[in-house]
Amino acid sequence: MKLTLANFHVKDIIFGDKTQLKDGVLTVNEKEALAVVLEDSHITQAELHVVRPGDEVRMVPVKEAIEPRYRAGGGPVFPGVTGEMLQAGNGVTHALKDMSVLVVGKHAGGFQDGLIDMSGEGAKYTYYSQLKHLVLVADTDEDFERREQQKKNRALRWAGMRLAEYLGSCTKDLTPDDTDVYQLDPITKRSAAVNGLPSVVLVLQPQSQMEELGYNDLNYGWDTNRMLPTLMHPNEVLDGAMISGSFMPCSSKWSTYDFQNFPMIRRLYAEHGKTLNFLGVIMSNLNVALEQKERAALFVAQIAKTLGADSAIVAEEGYGNPDADFTACLVALEDAGVKTVGLTNECTGRDGASQPLVSMNEKSDAIVSTGNVSTLIELPPMKTVLGELASLGRDGLSGGWEGDEKLGPSVRPDGSIIMENNAMFCGDQVVGWSTKTMVEF
Amino acid sequence: MKAIHYINQFFGQIGGEEAAGHEPEIREGQVGAAMALQAALGSGVDVTHTIICGDNFMGSNTEEAIRRILSFLEGKEFDIFFAGPAFRAGRYGVACGHICDAVQKKFGVPVLTSMNEENPGVEMYRSKMVIFRGGASAAAMKKDVAAMTGYGLRLIKGEKLLPAAREGYFGRGVRDQVWLDPPVNATDRVIDMLFKKLRGEPFQTELPIPKTDRVPIAPAIPPEELAKMNVALLTSGGIVPFGNPDRIQSASATRWGKYDITGIDDLKKGEYMTTHAGYDPAAANNDPDVVLPLDALRAYEKEGKIGGIHQYFYATVGTGTTQAEAARMAGEIVEELKSAGVRAAILTST
Repeated sequence: MKLTLANFHVKDIIFGDKTQLKDGVLTVNEKEALAVVLEDSHITQAELHVVRPGDEVRMVPVKEAIEPRYRAGGGPVFPGVTGEMLQAGNGVTHALKDMSVLVVGKHAGGFQDGLIDMSGEGAKYTYYSQLKHLVLVADTDEDFERREQQKKNRALRWAGMRLAEYLGSCTKDLTPDDTDVYQLDPITKRSAAVNGLPSVVLVLQPQSQMEELGYNDLNYGWDTNRMLPTLMHPNEVLDGAMISGSFMPCSSKWSTYDFQNFPMIRRLYAEHGKTLNFLGVIMSNLNVALEQKERAALFVAQIAKTLGADSAIVAEEGYGNPDADFTACLVALEDAGVKTVGLTNECTGRDGASQPLVSMNEKSDAIVSTGNVSTLIELPPMKTVLGELASLGRDGLSGGWEGDEKLGPSVRPDGSIIMENNAMFCGDQVVGWSTKTMVEF
Repeated sequence: MKAIHYINQFFGQIGGEEAAGHEPEIREGQVGAAMALQAALGSGVDVTHTIICGDNFMGSNTEEAIRRILSFLEGKEFDIFFAGPAFRAGRYGVACGHICDAVQKKFGVPVLTSMNEENPGVEMYRSKMVIFRGGASAAAMKKDVAAMTGYGLRLIKGEKLLPAAREGYFGRGVRDQVWLDPPVNATDRVIDMLFKKLRGEPFQTELPIPKTDRVPIAPAIPPEELAKMNVALLTSGGIVPFGNPDRIQSASATRWGKYDITGIDDLKKGEYMTTHAGYDPAAANNDPDVVLPLDALRAYEKEGKIGGIHQYFYATVGTGTTQAEAARMAGEIVEELKSAGVRAAILTST
């Protein structure tokens, strides 16, 4: 499989008459773009904003980030989700780089939504403060979940994907600034030199804990709660096969942008053929019942063993209950003789003294850790808020609260906030960007 | 800024073992080791007082010693409290831990001490305070004092403090996120760790997994032997006489209790209760035997299945209790059981 990502670097985003990319400036016809958003009659209000790194802007509740793309020759950017089923990861896909489409709730937030500060002290807590964004702030008539802490956010997330496809399509006839080629020969057809290198599989545990459909990450549109671990080509992940869900506390979440740009996959590609033989991705999941956890771990270890993997990297999208899946998977792989490194965040509590993972085992002796979901963060007021600041405290965001006997409310009358890292949008960057680690004091 | 220093009779120049019963006293200015502390702190911080207490006095009259020392400190201004260094001196190390813990709780000031890794005070108190990794003997005095004071000065000035391993103190089990400087992406850290693991080279995990300390299950006791044995009852489920007379903590316990059950066949509601905060207490308060089954064991005793029941039961609370504290308490209870000739025990949880 060979994927060519044709990169178009976006230096600035402005509103104008015609949606086009010229000299690195993305001009957006606001009316046309909003019409794409409003194709879904469930969207009741929608507005667009441009936000740049360094802007004095705070966004909350942020629901999703998507890289705008265009599939050369047509076809959906997200097969099985925004269009028909087709093979992702093969061919040419255009990407608008250094920017994302951000989806922000106009009023209603939920457990899974997060916060982004584009400047100041808060900017360091999320990767997304470094990107330019076309921000969709919108509301829906999904009243069945308006007062629910857990929201599917379906209309808004799908609107974001449509908008990303709409923007991406303006590159249809353009020549990219540069390209990235991702190619792996079939496992049994690799050269002796590549086969002589230590082999590695990347095991991904995307969020799939909700038994009810509509909240979990999707794999070609299929709910990951209903799947067993399977072998995938890494290009499929980079090319829209996986989309983010709407369930996990936000700092632990992997956005669709995260899947499209998965740093750990790209890092393994950089080593492939030089120091490692990258066999592929074992797409696992996260489960609720112990038997499901054990079954998934068994499948992962079996696939790794059948492939003859010397080593594995396991990354989990979540914390708490999913730590049991994570540790079970690490242990199953080690027991199968596969040398394994884990990649996760931790929950050591506001005082840092809690057990880092719910389930731990001495066999998981190599773990890279990217943060504490419960670290308290206090931030000054921000000039502009997109969305609704009150939602951080009011709507059950995983890192916010209405009132606390010691700390007071998350959102203070002057617009300053106190929150747990939990609500930082994709803050722990378990996909690999994180320069945070955990240390003992 | 002001500091106060706690030292034992030896480092306070009272005397050696013969003076270990020395009662606590407070003196203005610096005495003995406190002079070394003052020299290391420099002119910005005055060591205004030295507290001296004999190690045996603290060891055998702990509550009284702490009470007196806290009363010495009442009304005194101080920004930081030092104790030791205690090196490998066990009683001194434990004393430093006791007093630092009490001072920090009562006055809310930072406390610092230093001990050698073999000092029992380390395991007892490392989770509660910063204990620097000290030398084995007083030969390390200068170095150990410099470590404590260097950190202490930055602490009271509000300067940046590094992780335990970098500062040189025993980690308190408190983990928090930091940004790597210079920054290194998680992807690079994973690849580096993976290569080292593949090559069999040493590597440093970022999430050390504590060693589980498993005890093998004891071999079964033949019924004819059991019929002659005294069996003891122990619980980490918090069953105590009503009102919790020994004030065993509801979580993160450091105390255990010992309760005479001579002539008692059944733990009755209103006479016994649980003080454990880690589970719904309703069932245990309604019938404490559901956690500590004295009634069932009495039945076995009557039937002759066991020789008898040890005169006392032993109780603490398991929730949040550190492995180190649990091991210490268990060691103390085991000594009691051994000296009473008990060779079988039933330990219940919740």
